Amino acid sequence: MRRLPVYLLLDTSGSMYGEPIEAVKNGVQTLISTLRGDPYALETAYISIITFNSVAQQVTPLTELSAFQQPQIEASGCTALGEALTLLAQKVDTEIVKTTQEVKGDWKPLVFLMTDGEPTDDLQKGLDEFKKRKFGMVVACAAGQGANTNTLKQITENVVQLDTADSATIKAFFKWVSASISTGSQKVEDTHGDVASMSELPPPPPEVNIVV
Amino acid sequence: MANKITLTANDGSIVEFYDEIKAQGGVKDVYFSPDKTYVVAFYRKPINANDRERITNIVGIYRQRIFDTPEGNYWKNLFAWPTKMVEWNGKTGIIMPFYDKKFFFSSGPFKGKEKEGKWFASAKLRNKFLPADQKGNWLTNLHMCIKIARAVRRLHAAGLAHSDLSYKNILVDPITGSACIIDDDSLVVPGKFPPEVIGTPDFIAPEVIETKHLALDDKQRKLPSIYTDRHALAVLIYMYLLNRHPLRGGKVNDVNDSGRDEELSMGAKALFIENPTDKSNRVKAQQLSPAELPQGDPAKMPYTICGPYLKKLFDRAFVEGLHDPSKRPSAAEWEDALVKTTDLVQPCQNPNCEAKWFVFDNTTKPKCPFCGQPYHGQLPILNFYYAPSHGKFISENYRLMVYDKQTLYKWHANNLVSPSERTSEADKKPVGDFHFFNNQWILINRNLPDIMDVTEKKPIAIGEYVPLTEGRQILLDKGQGGRLIVVQLVNN
Repeated sequence: MRRLPVYLLLDTSGSMYGEPIEAVKNGVQTLISTLRGDPYALETAYISIITFNSVAQQVTPLTELSAFQQPQIEASGCTALGEALTLLAQKVDTEIVKTTQEVKGDWKPLVFLMTDGEPTDDLQKGLDEFKKRKFGMVVACAAGQGANTNTLKQITENVVQLDTADSATIKAFFKWVSASISTGSQKVEDTHGDVASMSELPPPPPEVNIVV
Repeated sequence: MANKITLTANDGSIVEFYDEIKAQGGVKDVYFSPDKTYVVAFYRKPINANDRERITNIVGIYRQRIFDTPEGNYWKNLFAWPTKMVEWNGKTGIIMPFYDKKFFFSSGPFKGKEKEGKWFASAKLRNKFLPADQKGNWLTNLHMCIKIARAVRRLHAAGLAHSDLSYKNILVDPITGSACIIDDDSLVVPGKFPPEVIGTPDFIAPEVIETKHLALDDKQRKLPSIYTDRHALAVLIYMYLLNRHPLRGGKVNDVNDSGRDEELSMGAKALFIENPTDKSNRVKAQQLSPAELPQGDPAKMPYTICGPYLKKLFDRAFVEGLHDPSKRPSAAEWEDALVKTTDLVQPCQNPNCEAKWFVFDNTTKPKCPFCGQPYHGQLPILNFYYAPSHGKFISENYRLMVYDKQTLYKWHANNLVSPSERTSEADKKPVGDFHFFNNQWILINRNLPDIMDVTEKKPIAIGEYVPLTEGRQILLDKGQGGRLIVVQLVNN
């Protein structure tokens, strides 16, 4: 059975301190408990969390949904988004089962990235590594007005913006992420086997604006 | 508390609901009525004239043809069919009955959630997450499949294709052996209302996947139809009875791209994992996780454990008809084969066996394929014969396995009767029953006026019994279509 790897890249810089980081923690918890009630996700989804502030670190290695444990998440420091993308690329190389003639490997990983500010390190270096790997759907979320959607557009064409980084909007975003991971009926005009682009996602909640 | 909204529906009746979204589907938002007997589902986007006409027909003439009939009440249990249409804030909504409470988990880790079929069709979910008291047994799962086949047969008889049959759109309850088809608003009428979705992964027919890159008006493009419903139905039945997907084997069709590999494996290169001649898509059991075993390994649980009637239909669905839609069995054929298969089951003698029932394997040393328990004791098999012309009986290749307190029905006694939504209350009562009494198997006549022991040449009065001994012939019904039983005994 192919696994569906899901990587969450979460900004834990100092500006996320307080309500936003608490909302992110709650969001992760809600995401996991929602997915555990979803038979599709429970059968196939594996979750990893990479946080980034002054450094990037994988706080949860790729883990089967039922075995997932909430990691410690604290907000402080700057926004090493470039390093986070480099780390993601490394983890994809080691954690994803590749398809060979003999073995069906994993689905292409889904990536959900959330940040509230501009990267403070060399984004281009991380971006280059990231672009060399194959991903399924990649969604970048700009939480609040401090994040630059144009920066995020360099990572993926699927960029959503939350007007504010308060608990209600962040919660809505995670709810939407969980709905995106479950699959449903395919529309007549769709052409991909993997979940790849925004048109296949469930409708975003009213709090999320899709940047086009 | 959210505001209560009151509207007038298309049929002039009053519809009430609270202004609070309780659930979201792919295209609709769902609101609850105050008395929780129905829900109102609004399409998020404005619907076009064609959709409006489709929905008007679904709540109108199509609904009346199925539900405003003597069997209407029976079908209400098998469909959550839209009954009315409303307009609100420029949006169109449909009214549907609330799902019966047996279709929600009543306890355990998933309490309150809908019983989506996936829970019961996946080996990993069954073995690792599903509480034992929610699984039902192999016989109730067979009953569940009968309900699904019957409901699909009714849709197809009305010229309607569901177009998105999947375990997401059918709620099931293995405990009572029930099923209910939901999301009936996207029905396809060939040539009149085209489909909006191509289906749900796992259930989309190969020809639909193979041609989905073509333009909608291309003549080669295949869209959901009654034939693709037949593929989805076969996959559903295979998955509920065997807990694995019939096409997900070990063959890799594209090394570089998992999406492309999926497309080929379910589309152009789709191949049955138990294809008798082409073995290239066999499951590689060593690559499965322990939670997927033993069901995931066809070498341990081949599809032949479903018995001869279903084996034949699986061959037609996944070997001959996989890439030739016209050869796929109809829903009516599935219903018939499933019903007849319930006559072949035996209770497993292992009290801890999870399946609890298994299909007699036609050997002299029968054993349960699920737990391996051999059957001990005397096992009577009743072979059915009928007379197309007077007095000359021929075999029907149809059998009834006997077990203690097993019951005999009118549809066993006469081959012109079959159990269906039309079965009358009187015909639902057993006409005979079987017991192990004084070291022999007997059939007690409860309501068979002209049953006769042909071997002894004497009638069996109501309340009297006839022993089931090797070779004994019993005529159940003297009328047209009446069946003759020839007894076979297995001794272990």
